[in-house]
Amino acid sequence: MIRPNLSTDQCLKCNICTSACPVASVSDEFMGPKSVGPQAARYGYTDRPPSILSLTWCSGCGICSLVCPHDVAVAEINIQAKAEVVKPRKVKLRDQLISRPELLGRLALPVASLANRSINSRATRWLLEKSLAISSSAPLPAFANQSLRTRMSSKCVDSPPDPEVDTDQIVAFFHGCSSNYYEPDLGILAISILEQLGQNVIIPPQRCCGLPLQSNGLLKSARRYAQTNISSLAPFANRGIPIVGISTSCTLSLKHDYRDILGLQDDRSNLVASSTFDFFEFLTFQLAEELNHLEFKPVPAEALYHPPCQLRSHGIGFPALRVLERIPGLQILLSESECCGIAGTYGIKQEKNLIAHDVGKSLFEQAQESEVDFVLSDSETCRWWITKYTGLPVYHPLEIIARAMEIE
Amino acid sequence: MTEIVVVGCGLTGLMASILAADRGAKVTLVARGRGGLTLSHGCIDVWGRATPSRALSRLRMSHPYRLAGKESVQAGIEILRDLCHQADLPYLGNISHNLRLPTAVGTVHPTALAPKSLSLGDLRSNTPITIAGIDGFRDFYPELAAANLQKTGVTVVDALHLPLPLSAARRDRYAMDLAHSFDDPHFRDEVVRIWKPRLSGVKRLGLPAILGLKNPQLTHEELQERLGLTLFEIPTLPPSLPGFRLEKLLRRKAMEMGVFLIEGPKVLGRVEGSAKSARVSGVVLQTTGGARTLPTDIVILATGGVMHGGLVFQQNGQVRESVLDLPVIYDESRQHWTASSPLESQPYANYGLLVNEQMQPLGADGQPIYTNLFCAGGLLANADRSNEGSRQGIGIATAYRAVEVALG
Repeated sequence: MIRPNLSTDQCLKCNICTSACPVASVSDEFMGPKSVGPQAARYGYTDRPPSILSLTWCSGCGICSLVCPHDVAVAEINIQAKAEVVKPRKVKLRDQLISRPELLGRLALPVASLANRSINSRATRWLLEKSLAISSSAPLPAFANQSLRTRMSSKCVDSPPDPEVDTDQIVAFFHGCSSNYYEPDLGILAISILEQLGQNVIIPPQRCCGLPLQSNGLLKSARRYAQTNISSLAPFANRGIPIVGISTSCTLSLKHDYRDILGLQDDRSNLVASSTFDFFEFLTFQLAEELNHLEFKPVPAEALYHPPCQLRSHGIGFPALRVLERIPGLQILLSESECCGIAGTYGIKQEKNLIAHDVGKSLFEQAQESEVDFVLSDSETCRWWITKYTGLPVYHPLEIIARAMEIE
Repeated sequence: MTEIVVVGCGLTGLMASILAADRGAKVTLVARGRGGLTLSHGCIDVWGRATPSRALSRLRMSHPYRLAGKESVQAGIEILRDLCHQADLPYLGNISHNLRLPTAVGTVHPTALAPKSLSLGDLRSNTPITIAGIDGFRDFYPELAAANLQKTGVTVVDALHLPLPLSAARRDRYAMDLAHSFDDPHFRDEVVRIWKPRLSGVKRLGLPAILGLKNPQLTHEELQERLGLTLFEIPTLPPSLPGFRLEKLLRRKAMEMGVFLIEGPKVLGRVEGSAKSARVSGVVLQTTGGARTLPTDIVILATGGVMHGGLVFQQNGQVRESVLDLPVIYDESRQHWTASSPLESQPYANYGLLVNEQMQPLGADGQPIYTNLFCAGGLLANADRSNEGSRQGIGIATAYRAVEVALG
């Protein structure tokens, strides 16, 4: 395992990370990223696991690493240490469950409508809260009747095209669990947009990125998922085929977490990382020409754009804005909050739900007070969460792009 | 539309971006880590040692102020003042006579402009002052500040401690935590109720800078009125609220003006052409996934000095510029980098890039190295900013001059 801990010596203890931490700003349960991270790592014993339970309150949003002016891998240190704290204790059944969206999706798919009905009934949610400590007020996504892979089976491939095929316009789509099991329509829209921009979209073999496991301290399982994904995606990357995803957290795993948190650093993981693009990163950096030729239809509306924290960690800015700004009639208001609070599975947990809600409170207030027509955000859990607490429709920016391109 | 990349998002980079966007350029602002401004006191130091406006015309020709010109100092500062005024964070003061503000350790900080809530602590006013600390807040000691101020001849009536209506915390409370509390109107009601009886007879009260982040100006005015006294803030240890407020204001303004902010990547320059016509064709961003090339017409470097990553002091005795490896003026003997006492002017503080009056970095032949490259702020040689009390003034003036020439 790599040691982000080596970067602790660069920490000047300036506390910029603590000041920017969304969790520390609403709760003193969490001592703040500096205290539990670089500081604890410095004073800790290398042969003993860290003992700071306060670590478990870290939501893993990654803002601390982003704002650090001295390259300290604050979030990475914390996530690794969090896993060490969890290790000697038994990981809760709840955390085992919610960190496996793929498994849940596969189990629920055949009985989707029944599962959706029962999971959202009050009685079930009460039961889930009492038995598993899954917050009864947190939004749980609905399962789709058919997976994206089934609906797009003609695009699913096992291996990259034969060597003689020119891969110039080929794009490999990383759907993640969300657009495979919960929001296949969104994935299909993304594919349509790429196709309209002249790309030939294929769907390589893949599984859950493993981020929920990693966030819940199950690094060993996460590493197994990561290795599977690297093995199945590397041959595509090796042929120069870009891997494009619409969930900013899955793509961040491929780019960053596999290497810098799970410690899988080799030629193949580097190749997969550098070949992976967020959907809008791909549009603005790689398809700038094609994009320039598009004529967008007006979308007369006012929208609040909230970039997910996981997108911030890509280090690419908010490229969706660069496309949205071309749509006539669309007024974009920028979110003033660094984080909506959900942080993947964090806000679902009963003991954390209130903190997560408080983190997002100023965002919810901004959305409601500004009277926008809808909210935009690139990550599925953020969208579900913001909808739940604002009552507003929350779209992936690509849904608005599709509307402006008249793609149904 | 001219495309421009600004590297660095301290005061200099943010000002350069705003000024360039205002002149109609398409601006991308790239930065790694937040720093400079969030660690600062939030005041605008122009010349700390004497009457600023007169001193500036007597400097040596190679000083950044002389190169940028007095007009740039004046124009840049007026623009900043307007921006702050429009955003409800008014700055008071001027460049003819310095304000004399108390610091947290009881020294006197001469500065040209300060946020209103700080400027009311101006020691040129005869109104006697009382200094108060906050119970449980360990970053500010009123007795220390009072005792040291007395030594400089300032009349301090009293040093006292004020309680806050907060329950015991599980960790230290930082200035940012207290600011979040002060953003809440109900909290302020309670504060007034508890404080008022303890402050009878107090005319002018100095507090650590904790009075809110969301709308500090309103919070300050409200408390002054309800407590019936003149209230002023004293910047604390970094991260200091006044610096945070200014950073937030400028970053927000830049984004509202359409500046595309990319936080996270390391930046390397890309160069084309040779000898006299060499230009910077773009920058390569080392993003989380991999390298992304950003072509551009103009680059402005505002990466700062040694504390901010613009200059790298190497163990082998070399000092390098971090983005384009531009030639740096420095002493090749490491023994000469520092003065014999840490309190003296440090030779290394003067190291940096040589530029002409157009803010273009110069090669050994005295000619601009690249036709479309401009540098501003802490990166420039021949000024000891700490010692002169000139850091923010140089940043603003040279940013103004660089944008004026680049887009003029």
